[in-house]
Amino acid sequence: MGGPGWLAGILAAVMLTVAVYCAGRLVVARRTGRPTEVDADGVHVFMGVAMAGMLTAGLKFLPAGTWEAVFALGAAWFGWRLVRVRRNAQATASPWRCLHPLPHLVECGAMLYMLAVAVTVVSKSTGTGMAAMTLSATAQRFSIVALALAVFMLGYTVWLGDRVAATALAGGTTTTTGHACPPRLAPRCAALCKIAMGVTMGYMLVMLL
Amino acid sequence: MSQTYAAGSVGTGTATGLADLTPRRMLQLALGAIWLLDGILQYQAFMYSKAFPQMLASSAAGNPAILATPITWNAGFIAHNLAAYNTIFATIQVAIGLGIAWRPAVKPALAASVVWALGVWWFGEGFNGILTSSGSSPVAGAPGGVIIYALLAVLLWPTDRAAPFEAARAVGRRTAQALWLILWASLAYFALLPASRAPHAISQTISGMAAGEPGWLSWIDTHAASALSGQGLAASIVLAVACGVVALGTYLPRSAARATIVLAIAVATALWLAEGLGGIFTGSGTDPSTGPLLALLALTFWPVHAAIKQKEGA
Repeated sequence: MGGPGWLAGILAAVMLTVAVYCAGRLVVARRTGRPTEVDADGVHVFMGVAMAGMLTAGLKFLPAGTWEAVFALGAAWFGWRLVRVRRNAQATASPWRCLHPLPHLVECGAMLYMLAVAVTVVSKSTGTGMAAMTLSATAQRFSIVALALAVFMLGYTVWLGDRVAATALAGGTTTTTGHACPPRLAPRCAALCKIAMGVTMGYMLVMLL
Repeated sequence: MSQTYAAGSVGTGTATGLADLTPRRMLQLALGAIWLLDGILQYQAFMYSKAFPQMLASSAAGNPAILATPITWNAGFIAHNLAAYNTIFATIQVAIGLGIAWRPAVKPALAASVVWALGVWWFGEGFNGILTSSGSSPVAGAPGGVIIYALLAVLLWPTDRAAPFEAARAVGRRTAQALWLILWASLAYFALLPASRAPHAISQTISGMAAGEPGWLSWIDTHAASALSGQGLAASIVLAVACGVVALGTYLPRSAARATIVLAIAVATALWLAEGLGGIFTGSGTDPSTGPLLALLALTFWPVHAAIKQKEGA
């Protein structure tokens, strides 16, 4: 399975842009005191770099095992956050943490899946100009997992799309202790980054079907 | 960060979670997600190979000449610059999906959805073979998943009109019921055509879907085909009766209507499995076929609870 090589290149560039932008958000948020979802932005920095490496072999500079450890940690964090939010959403609410840990947990799970099943990611310069994400024969038995993850990511993407217009209206927030917080840092841009991440991840998962 | 956002006649909702979306908006977003999936499937390597225009051209076979000629011409036209045209097609579908998701663009995206779906139904699917002499079978995807996209786009058009079910809000109850009746009655009709009722028709159609599928789906299709081998007439009658009952469902009292909607979703699920999930695991599937769309359509006819209508009217 695979798609056009040039598309993989474009998506890799988009992912690197998202990674750089999210890293920039963390720096700006720290300097200005304007809240951002530190955990979501942080994981998107790693995710953007890892996905760029999976899409284009030339950008792959860390072994899969390292990335697996990173995303396993991410999954553990968002899993713990999810449990906390489910138990008491109000007490755990913070403008510095993501409000919806589930999609990020699934994102980390999808990264682990892709790293585990994609034997090689080859950006071929063949006659067809196709990039190929090769699956092991055993992994093909679990392609239903890729479909389920892709459907979730695409559903998450359209949900984010629905929220983009609303996000623009977001003003200042209030902490659980009642203190006023400055408005979130560029919430619409953050949502657009998540949409780009969701579409790209959906694309990669579909190519693994 | 809970902010209320009113998007004109799109409806109102808060931006915190799924539970804050109206049922209508959820259905619109589901349609948007399916368009997005379609668009991404269109980027697969198969669509950039010569096999894709050949597949388009093959859909002309058996259609009346006046309809078949443009299909053949279109396939040849696309083959001349396949990479560019296929990329445009895929991007249009992704844009429709994202447009439906972005509230300010809902209406243009739904309108584009109708136009695009009708175009694909003709030039891409050859009307799914329903105009050929032997007809087509619901098991083979008749009347074509793409026409259901157009129907959904019409029925999910943003409006504030109150109605007993979501599909009736845009076009009115009677029109929506008539559209449902026509669709499911046509499915019942297609189920009785030779393409379905011949002794081995349904089993051959299903077994043909098994090739290239993952083991579990291939196992389901192979065993279903084996069980239905030589039973084409009986299977087609059962399918036709089920579709006929579903067709009349929206005219029944609420509890019976809900039962027929559940039956519709069950039929859609069975058809989807028989269709090999639209071949999306084979690398050559362009869409998830009729199953998910029929199920989504059924949900638009689910009788709305009075409390939800009050919430949306507020």
